[in-house]
Amino acid sequence: MELTDADLIARVLADDDQHAFGELVRRHQSSVRGLLRQLTRTDVALADDLAQETFIRAYKNIRSFRGEARFSTWLYRIAYNCFREDARRRKELVGVDEAQWQAEQDPQTVDPGLRHDLMHALSLLPLHERSAIVLCCQNGLSHDEAARVLDIPLGTVKTNVLRGREKLKRTLAAWAPN
Amino acid sequence: MIDDETLDRQLREAVLYLDDDGFTGRVMASLPAAPREPRWLRTMIVLGLALLGSGVAYLLSGGARVVREGVVQMADFPIWLLLVFAFGCGLVVGAFAVIFAIRRTPEVRDLTRLEF
Repeated sequence: MELTDADLIARVLADDDQHAFGELVRRHQSSVRGLLRQLTRTDVALADDLAQETFIRAYKNIRSFRGEARFSTWLYRIAYNCFREDARRRKELVGVDEAQWQAEQDPQTVDPGLRHDLMHALSLLPLHERSAIVLCCQNGLSHDEAARVLDIPLGTVKTNVLRGREKLKRTLAAWAPN
Repeated sequence: MIDDETLDRQLREAVLYLDDDGFTGRVMASLPAAPREPRWLRTMIVLGLALLGSGVAYLLSGGARVVREGVVQMADFPIWLLLVFAFGCGLVVGAFAVIFAIRRTPEVRDLTRLEF
């Protein structure tokens, strides 16, 4: 029988069982690395470095995980904090400005394929809208969970998701069925 | 314009599973080393040493004679001095309690940006 996340966490807490923590890393590495790739605009090396930092912080602070949220939500919060601290260091926390965003909408620059266009459009969203879309629409978090991860009010998450979706729909208008 | 259902489906389907490719191994190699002795053993050692130290202090002080005499002497102090002393003790204990609570609560620690 496969152990649940809660079982593995209990083993880490009771015996500092690193094998149990390794299993947790294996289970969640894809979603955490995927989230960070979206946040870093597909900078794979940076995303993986931040993901590694995320799991090391999670291991060091696992006693502060009280099981009120899902383990994955807790990891996303750490990952987002790692990204935010790194971005602050790099002074890149500002999103793409509106003029650049409009310029990137030039259909000549858009490659064929809805999936590819969608990922391209997603990467062009400002950080606050991209984060909300990735967490809620791609990773299946509720608005409330996303608000905890991003440390912003619930209403702001809803607004960011709504605005992000509208921009994506505008960008992908050419794909609408006639 | 593309409809909501299509957008949601495309967003969900765009999430790819990333192969581990040695990522877990790199994380595990970077973790701080686990303590060799079990946690309960460390707790028992600390507790044992504390009890031993307390016993030695009790014997050396002549059965806590110093403490008894101190309490008797404090009884002669004016009440306002005792109140100030109690208030000071309360402040010190309260300060330690707040620091401990902040350290144990990541949300508050992040909010206050305090480093301990």
